[in-house]
Amino acid sequence: MRILWASLLLAGCLMGREDIKTQTLANGMKVIVEEDHAIPNVAMYFFYKVGSRNEHVGATGVSHFFEHMMFNGAKKYGPKEFDRNMERNGGSNNAYTSNDVTVYTDWFPSSALELMFDMEADRIGDLAFDPKMIESERGVVYSERRSSVDNNNFGLLDELAEAAAFEAHPYHWPVLGWPSDIESWTMQDLKSHWNMGYAPNNCVMVIVGDVNFDQVMALSKKFLEPIPRRDPPPPVRTKEPEQLGERRVTLSKPAQLPIQMILYHIPDSRDPDSPVLDVISTILSAGQSSRLYTQLVDSQLAISANGGFGEALDPTLFQITIQPRSGVDTAVTEKVLFEQLTKLQTDLVPDAELRKAKNQRLAGLYRRLKTIEGRANLLGTYEVFMGDYSKAFDEDKRVEAVTAADIQRVAKKYFTAKNRTVATLVPEKPEVKP
Amino acid sequence: MKRFLLALALCGALAAQVKLPPYTREVLPNGTVMYFMQRAGIPLVRFLVVVKGGSEADPADRTGLASVTAELLRRGMSQYTAAQFSEEVDGLGGTFNANADEQSTTISAEFLSKDFDRGLALVSEAVLHPTFPDDEVRKTVARRVDSLKSTKDAPGAAIRPFYQTFFFGSAHPYGRVADEASYDRIRRAEIVEDHKRLFVGKNLVVIVAGDFEPAAAKASVSKTFGAVPAGEPFHFRAAASVPRPASTRVLLIDKPDATQTYFVIAQPGVRRSTPDRVPLILVNTLFGGRFTSMINDALRVNSGLTYGASSAVQMGRLDGAITINSYTKTDTTEKTIDMALDVLKSLGDKGLTADQLASVKAYVKGEYPTRTVQTADQIASVLAEMELYGLDRDEVDQYFSRIDAVTLDQANAVARKYYRTDNLTFVLLGNAAKIRDVAKKYGAVTEKEAKLPGWAPASSQ
Repeated sequence: MRILWASLLLAGCLMGREDIKTQTLANGMKVIVEEDHAIPNVAMYFFYKVGSRNEHVGATGVSHFFEHMMFNGAKKYGPKEFDRNMERNGGSNNAYTSNDVTVYTDWFPSSALELMFDMEADRIGDLAFDPKMIESERGVVYSERRSSVDNNNFGLLDELAEAAAFEAHPYHWPVLGWPSDIESWTMQDLKSHWNMGYAPNNCVMVIVGDVNFDQVMALSKKFLEPIPRRDPPPPVRTKEPEQLGERRVTLSKPAQLPIQMILYHIPDSRDPDSPVLDVISTILSAGQSSRLYTQLVDSQLAISANGGFGEALDPTLFQITIQPRSGVDTAVTEKVLFEQLTKLQTDLVPDAELRKAKNQRLAGLYRRLKTIEGRANLLGTYEVFMGDYSKAFDEDKRVEAVTAADIQRVAKKYFTAKNRTVATLVPEKPEVKP
Repeated sequence: MKRFLLALALCGALAAQVKLPPYTREVLPNGTVMYFMQRAGIPLVRFLVVVKGGSEADPADRTGLASVTAELLRRGMSQYTAAQFSEEVDGLGGTFNANADEQSTTISAEFLSKDFDRGLALVSEAVLHPTFPDDEVRKTVARRVDSLKSTKDAPGAAIRPFYQTFFFGSAHPYGRVADEASYDRIRRAEIVEDHKRLFVGKNLVVIVAGDFEPAAAKASVSKTFGAVPAGEPFHFRAAASVPRPASTRVLLIDKPDATQTYFVIAQPGVRRSTPDRVPLILVNTLFGGRFTSMINDALRVNSGLTYGASSAVQMGRLDGAITINSYTKTDTTEKTIDMALDVLKSLGDKGLTADQLASVKAYVKGEYPTRTVQTADQIASVLAEMELYGLDRDEVDQYFSRIDAVTLDQANAVARKYYRTDNLTFVLLGNAAKIRDVAKKYGAVTEKEAKLPGWAPASSQ
């Protein structure tokens, strides 16, 4: 268990540091390649370092909307042609947008590699902004919002909780955008967004699978390198002021069960406290032996209880989500949670429990390596959020270095009443019919 | 297209047949079927134990029994308490999950290769020697009843059990979905009996896949599972057919706060082993199984009415359903359903083109390796499926040639046979006050409030 990547190298056919080759094109786009010929397929991921944090009031959600528009036609390949060509050649795709990044994910047989370069270069360099497609796609995005927020109690409460926890920084608004902004985005918003975020020098391309590096670089030079370099997005200047007191927000709507979300401000992914918080999230909620499972779920107070956080370029939030059992007062589940967080501050985590959490995290890393798409996402995520893909190869060391004293120090630093936001969905009593 | 293929001739032939890697299959004297698929690489090993029966084995008024039994396997056994077991699994960085579906219970666990012996000991203890402590039974059942409330708060999740119950009816195993009442009737004694009857040699399949030492693995698995009483294999019921209803039926589920309508349009389908499966997969992929499919193209891409529209062919042991699934904002409910019906009608009327068929063949073959033979976990699942449905390795090894062999006439015949427009079943979940008149347009409407107990319209109590 001790040395994760060393044993991977011994295993002989898995990703090791020396299996990764990189080159940066003349226009600044970084290319990261891992050859793997086990199956005749390729995962090609484009990480654009632009997300909802780069937006402004009035055009929130435009990063995500733009992501959708990337499939609606460019100069050479018109509307529908990207998907049709891809599927006809055995490929499929998706994309995701977060606070920080917009990522395009292509999976296809290696026989379609050149086609994919041609189509990706076409939409990166010459996207069309067809007014008819914009209107139709607006409806699609609004439907996405209705599904994941308006008609999803967890999504709705999450949006409220984050908006309350961040009052100044752009993490305040949802990635999908506020409803009124969805209704109002203009062609100009889309063009400005493209101009700001889609410079080749603001992109990292990761290719894992049945390719060879020289072939990838030849195609990159042919198709991607001619796209001119431009200014990257301006820095996000607004920093979230220190929170100076507990915030409580309530969502009242018809529901059978309440939901609670408790959020604490924590630093960005590159902060040395980040791996400590990773281990804390594991101790709290990974597996049925975890502290929150035993104290909240097994004890019959809650249906579910989970805690954690995601990669972030700016200071972010550690979020705990609890769904109490029916008839259980949310004050009770909240009290149990706070006791567990206090315990992290007062009692050192026992050696065996710390060892367990590290084993869970390290095994979790192996699991991310099983597929070409998993490895493409891992490499791109480390490159963007940690500043260097090769930091993925030191992740085991960062996990191993965490001590019980680190956990106590970090828990004291962040899990304070002043630093938290408590959001609660309170089921509305049904109206009594006259 | 051709210019790209020529440039990449070095990459090998387009879509060469993917084959299952080498594996062994053996039957122990007590009937337990063992598979071993060894593949060096990531130092993990997957244990997959399949127990035939699933919810088909549930007594009619105890729906959910197999599922509750599965969840409780880890909650107390001869050698470990529930807490000790979880400490062991988590301490090794392992995973352990157990679920029941319509035809089987599957226990899936993963450990680091170096922990093979401890992993096997944990898995076999949970599978073979659970004690089902009474307090754990009561806790699990109570939590599940509350989870139903959570499901009913989430319209996207709730529509499926409402649809299943209504479409199949209580005479078909797929129409019996666990609810408050059926959970309430489950007792420890029935769980113990269920386990004793089904978790026996003649009813077990044990699959080991990943990075492990084959000879030692075979010896220890044979020893552990060879000691299980042979028992009797579960006798699956004779195939229940799904007759097409005599008229169109509509179920309207009222969720007054919903701002969009979720809908399913269902009709009788096939079982996993149908000889039509390959052409049907191709036709369904074209109709509603990929992004450019006819239904997603119409409802999403062309009109922006929804974030997603798809169709699905259920492929279980028994005949199932073919469904169209989508959602749209409340005031475009009628327009969207009408459009879905138009697309359905046009599939039968106009049929498919040679170009469409060529595209979908390439698509299905292209994504197949990443989904089927990329990881040890995927291969373990394929082996389980072969065993459960009585298929052989040609299901994978000959898949591409079977796809290639499908003619346009065959595809169109399958489209006409299964994608019909008569006597459909509609399930709509949304704000009934606003869509009741729309619902009536499609047929006789049955209504139910989403928040009430039970899934079947008649069982509101």
